[in-house]
Amino acid sequence: MRKRNKGKKRSYVGLSVLSIVLFFFIWWLFTEGFLGTIKANVLPGPVKVFTTLSDKFSNKNPDGALMQMHLWASLKVTLSGYVIGCLVGIPLGIFMGWYEKADIFINPIFDFIRPIPGIAWTPLFILLFGIGMLPKVIVIALAAFGPALVNTYTGIRQTKEVHIWVGQTFGASKFEILTKIAIPSSIPFVLTGMRVGLGVAWSTIIGAEMLAATAGLGYLINLCRGIYRPDIIIAAMICVGLIGAGLGYVLTLAERRLMKGGRW
Amino acid sequence: MLDRRAKGWQKTVAAVISFAIFVSVWQLVTLNPTIHQVMPGPFAVLQKFFLSFAEPIGKNTMLMHMLITLSRWAVGFLAATVLGIALGLAMGWYPKFEYFMRPLFELVRPIPTLAWIPLVILWCGIGEFAKYTLVFIGAFMSIVQNAYHGAKSVDRSIVHAARMLGCNDRQMFFTIVIPASVPAISAGLQIGVASAWSSVVAAELVRSSSGVGWIVVTGQQNNNMTQILVGILVIAVIGLLLALLIRKVEDVLCRWNKRGR
Amino acid sequence: MAEKRIKIKVDHLTKKFGELLVLDDVSFDVEEGEFLCIVGPTGCGKTTFLNSVTRLYDITAGQIFVNGEEVDLKKHNISYIFQEFSAMPWLTIEQNVGFGLDIKKVPRAEKKERVDEMLEIVGLTDFRHFYPQQVSTSMNQRIGIARAFATRPEILLMDEPYGQLDIDLRFKLEDELVNLWRKTKTTVLFITHNVEEAVYLSEHIMVLTNKPCHVKTVIENRLPRPRDVMSMEFVKLRDHVTEMIKWW
Repeated sequence: MRKRNKGKKRSYVGLSVLSIVLFFFIWWLFTEGFLGTIKANVLPGPVKVFTTLSDKFSNKNPDGALMQMHLWASLKVTLSGYVIGCLVGIPLGIFMGWYEKADIFINPIFDFIRPIPGIAWTPLFILLFGIGMLPKVIVIALAAFGPALVNTYTGIRQTKEVHIWVGQTFGASKFEILTKIAIPSSIPFVLTGMRVGLGVAWSTIIGAEMLAATAGLGYLINLCRGIYRPDIIIAAMICVGLIGAGLGYVLTLAERRLMKGGRW
Repeated sequence: MLDRRAKGWQKTVAAVISFAIFVSVWQLVTLNPTIHQVMPGPFAVLQKFFLSFAEPIGKNTMLMHMLITLSRWAVGFLAATVLGIALGLAMGWYPKFEYFMRPLFELVRPIPTLAWIPLVILWCGIGEFAKYTLVFIGAFMSIVQNAYHGAKSVDRSIVHAARMLGCNDRQMFFTIVIPASVPAISAGLQIGVASAWSSVVAAELVRSSSGVGWIVVTGQQNNNMTQILVGILVIAVIGLLLALLIRKVEDVLCRWNKRGR
Repeated sequence: MAEKRIKIKVDHLTKKFGELLVLDDVSFDVEEGEFLCIVGPTGCGKTTFLNSVTRLYDITAGQIFVNGEEVDLKKHNISYIFQEFSAMPWLTIEQNVGFGLDIKKVPRAEKKERVDEMLEIVGLTDFRHFYPQQVSTSMNQRIGIARAFATRPEILLMDEPYGQLDIDLRFKLEDELVNLWRKTKTTVLFITHNVEEAVYLSEHIMVLTNKPCHVKTVIENRLPRPRDVMSMEFVKLRDHVTEMIKWW
């Protein structure tokens, strides 16, 4: 009986490998392979996509810039907007979580703004500030601000009563309890909010660049639709995915340093 | 220290005061002639909003635009719900399926929905199907994810108890796994509703000829800030209503699982 | 024999949660250096009682005096060991133990000395740089104890602190507690549902009634220390207390 189970476990990982291999094989088969019926300007094959991807780092065609320039353009705006969004959202979340008066007055306004997707603000700020970096940074800040605020707020509200009692018994002031207990206690939630916010920010910039930009991965993807270069589109999409994952990883590393003892 | 003492009516009063202040400040700021050039006041926006039900913006009245956007949202969201729950539950419960499907998901997951827009338009054209697909992509990932976690974290002791009682695989899946996963699925639906709404608005902003997103983007193209704000207002209101709706659904589905909201 | 001062004076303490009357006109005095065990049927309001005395809960009526003045957590040096684990997961064990000293703004050198001493006493010196979530439950409870004693409290409140621990550890910690109490001459209020523990530790045992809670009786415990749980006097006293607790 035990032997059979061991065999089962091993073959499952094989399934994972198989599915990836199958995925690429079928993709190749129907585009560049023997059943290659799909045209390259509709769906290019994996070989074409990967050669284009590596090529674009040294080839300026057809849009006039290298891949890394687009990467940096998108990243620049994202990080600027994201930092602003967190710098506003986190303190506000603490404020609203701790002081009920702040909560009941600000929350209704926020409830109204929250359902508006970040990208929907883009036309408004373009009309106000043109097609530069500023309107996009504001849009990204707005997009990241929501999750940062909500999660921080929840974190403060989730402060364990017993921890507050510990502080109170020792004679801590209300402010001390906020700074020495509530805020440290909320760190896991704040980090979750930052993680979600980062994902939303990165997603929003890609969309915003399709509306108004002269560089960036979103801009590149949209441009290449018009000139029927899906190979660049897919290559850029892969970059978007990789950077998104990379940013998440950086945050995970930061999380590990901040919560040395482990999650609480 | 953390207990909230404000009663329901106090919260309502605070909300009303808050909005009143917001609207007043907005109105006062836009009285300034320089600002007035670029930004209309709140009453101008409201006026245009109500007017648009009679006078069409573009080819459609406001009601038509709203219905068009909502229909796009609904089709994509419902498809994502059905497929997402099915797939997520299967992945969470059947290990072979999980090992096979998960890598594919992990490959696609990091790519944000918005990044798909041009490719989908390239493949599906600029019609309704492209919109349905984009909304689907938007909602699908989070619904699958949550259904997957729901099925994976079914309490093992319940499973063992059921097996003791002679439960076969089919019964196990339908009478134990599915109900136990409902809270997680419900959480996924909350996120899915918002993602789907975000996707449909984004799709309409980039490329469409009708809908609430179209209202906003054409407002910008025509230098019409009032129109933009009307569009944003509608997006906010409908988004809010959808969120409330799905929360009601959650309350019904999860009656047995009081999460102490 | 020197006359002992009244450390805590509870005067007509009444506590209602909405319409529910939990504490009903409770009055009693606690002498300085006393070890008072509070027992009673489950759910009768023992924790509410302790929280009301320290003003962690707002009370409906009555007054509580410490050293003759209204109880004030900022002024009076009180420590509380809770039933649940209350170590803060974002602080190391060492930082946790020093938490009360931080709040009370004890100078750094003295703080270090006291923290080192307490870590030594509860046997956590080797774990000082670990975090609470990395160590066992019994160690977690000892963090709470070390933290409570580090501030050299004048009053120590304990709410079933050993409930989650196994027997050998319980006995060991109970002995440790008695030693610390004798050394520091703290006034201790100790809640427990374990009658044997109450008889082992206390100078006086206060029996509370079911809700609405009031003091049924206070039993004096003159058994000589160290106490033998097997001795006839011990057993007799234990049975007597159990008899008093019965509410059926």
